[in-house]
Amino acid sequence: MSKIITVLWWVLVAAGVVIAPFYLDGIWLQDGLFAMAAAIGAIGLNLLTGATGQLSMGHAFFLAVGAFGYVYFASVPEDGGHGLGGLGLPTPLAAVLAVLLSGVAGGVFSPIAGRLKGAYLGIATLALIFIGHFVMSNATPVTGGHNGRPVPPMELFGFAFTDTPEPLVIAGVPFGALERLWFLGVALLVGAGLFARGVLRGRPGRAMNTIRDHEIAAGVMGVPVTRYRAGVFVLSSMYGGLAGVLIALVFRQTVPDYFGLILALSYLAMIIIGGLGSVAGAVVGAFFVSMLPSLFTRYSDALPLVAPTGQEGVGAAEAAQILYGLAVVVVVLFLPGGLFGLFTRLRLRLTRRTAPASPAKHALIPTPETRN
Amino acid sequence: MTSIPRLEVRDVTVRFAGLTALDAVSFTIEPGSVHAVIGPNGAGKSTCFNVLSGVYRATSGSVRFGDAELTTMPPHRIAGLGLARTFQNIALSPLLSVRDNMMLGRHRLTRAGFVAAGLRLPSARREAARHNARAEEIAAFVGLTERLDVPVGLLPYGVQKRVELARALCMEPRLLMLDEPVAGMNGGERRDMAELIMAVRESLGISILLVEHDMGMVMRLADAVTVLDFGRLIADGPPQEVQNDPEVIRAYLGATSETEEAAS
Repeated sequence: MSKIITVLWWVLVAAGVVIAPFYLDGIWLQDGLFAMAAAIGAIGLNLLTGATGQLSMGHAFFLAVGAFGYVYFASVPEDGGHGLGGLGLPTPLAAVLAVLLSGVAGGVFSPIAGRLKGAYLGIATLALIFIGHFVMSNATPVTGGHNGRPVPPMELFGFAFTDTPEPLVIAGVPFGALERLWFLGVALLVGAGLFARGVLRGRPGRAMNTIRDHEIAAGVMGVPVTRYRAGVFVLSSMYGGLAGVLIALVFRQTVPDYFGLILALSYLAMIIIGGLGSVAGAVVGAFFVSMLPSLFTRYSDALPLVAPTGQEGVGAAEAAQILYGLAVVVVVLFLPGGLFGLFTRLRLRLTRRTAPASPAKHALIPTPETRN
Repeated sequence: MTSIPRLEVRDVTVRFAGLTALDAVSFTIEPGSVHAVIGPNGAGKSTCFNVLSGVYRATSGSVRFGDAELTTMPPHRIAGLGLARTFQNIALSPLLSVRDNMMLGRHRLTRAGFVAAGLRLPSARREAARHNARAEEIAAFVGLTERLDVPVGLLPYGVQKRVELARALCMEPRLLMLDEPVAGMNGGERRDMAELIMAVRESLGISILLVEHDMGMVMRLADAVTVLDFGRLIADGPPQEVQNDPEVIRAYLGATSETEEAAS
């Protein structure tokens, strides 16, 4: 019975995802795409911080490596003017290389990431943000400096993710860049989510969770703790890189200032709000944190205490930030499993009502003790 | 079944800053025997365990398991040789099911890495199925079959202790090290655990190193007993001999001070 409900639920979600570009405005599609990119990045951070207990404050750095890596690999070099460099590679290859480059960047840092843990790693990774910002602002031929540089659109087997040349019309809806990217984003998110789920439920996931819960026990059980920490760090960097590529494609312009400390912290907020250690938690948290500011902006006139755009008072963006700051506190205090944990508990309560002879309760929420 | 090597501890000394936790301790665990290490609190029993499993580094001395020198190895390499241990204070993942905790014991015997597990490659799935079947056998042996899919954190203490043992057995050890397996248990649970340890020894024929405070259990199970006091070895031999050793009686009962008091 519950299996049928699960299947129905997924069919509904899939239908909603396919129909969405036909009904939603461009601006909503863009927000949705940012949320998908954030979800991919958050899954990566959740593998590292949620499942392995390794705090990273430098996740935004790997997003930046992915984004600028893609732009550099895909751009055709300009001779005159600013002298922006590039390799002019085919865009899918550039995207793959950008993800690998993020992995390499993570690999360079992994000797440190493998040996530090908890808050110490958090502080060490913080350095990445500042180093990254300095490099991005000064390596003008690669990154375009403070103003960033335009992103070459993705072209997959002759199919361009752009508004031009001819507007593709499906069911009366013009399919521009955002509509096309929507499906690319969904495919990437589903792939990234399934891969992470496989990792978490398999042999590496058990080792990662035990490193988080009891490092000494993990070592004694035969897990090479240092190598595993380093490996998870590289994997998490690659997820960050993929998220960066997608953000660059949606944004169409990469700006160094975007990949700062605020972004890194918002990724931590996503996994805490959504639920530490699970793929679904990362996705829920990413959508919550990325969609909240736009929801507030769109409906600011209907919300109390939020001033409409252009007027005095607490603006929508500030209100959203206050709310998600509040959400972090509330989740940490009252919902140790995050929003996803709340959802699982509600579902368990519902199924228990329909089937009174259910077995022992299986929902267990992470306690603060098990997080470090 | 691979042969069980002898474990030889030679002149192992461990110092933490000014404190000498183990002072030139030597003993040998014969293949297939149950060897108990006993002593009052703070005698260095757990330190000894941590040196054998690679958690602590010995300041000097050597530990040989067959041809391998353990004192220079990291814990995961020692685990790779077939030394498995349990923890006095339970060290399981409370959120993972009993099955997943036990499957962690199979880590050294399995190969699936990030890519194989992430892509669910057929090789990884076959491997998982094969080792899962063995974990279920071990669960049946230890009496955990009904609890396999329950998160460990929801189980009572006595059962968690059994999960610890089951996880160690999942490593297919050649030397099983049990750190106070019945500490904090009631009478019935103690009896069950003692029977289980006997059954492990009879069915697998592996060496067992036991650290325990329960003297009745030690005397019943052990073939040899090593007694530590303040980091020094004060007796080593068969249980009956050790039991009557005046040095041991003094360490446990403080006979010297009592006689001193009586004299004064």
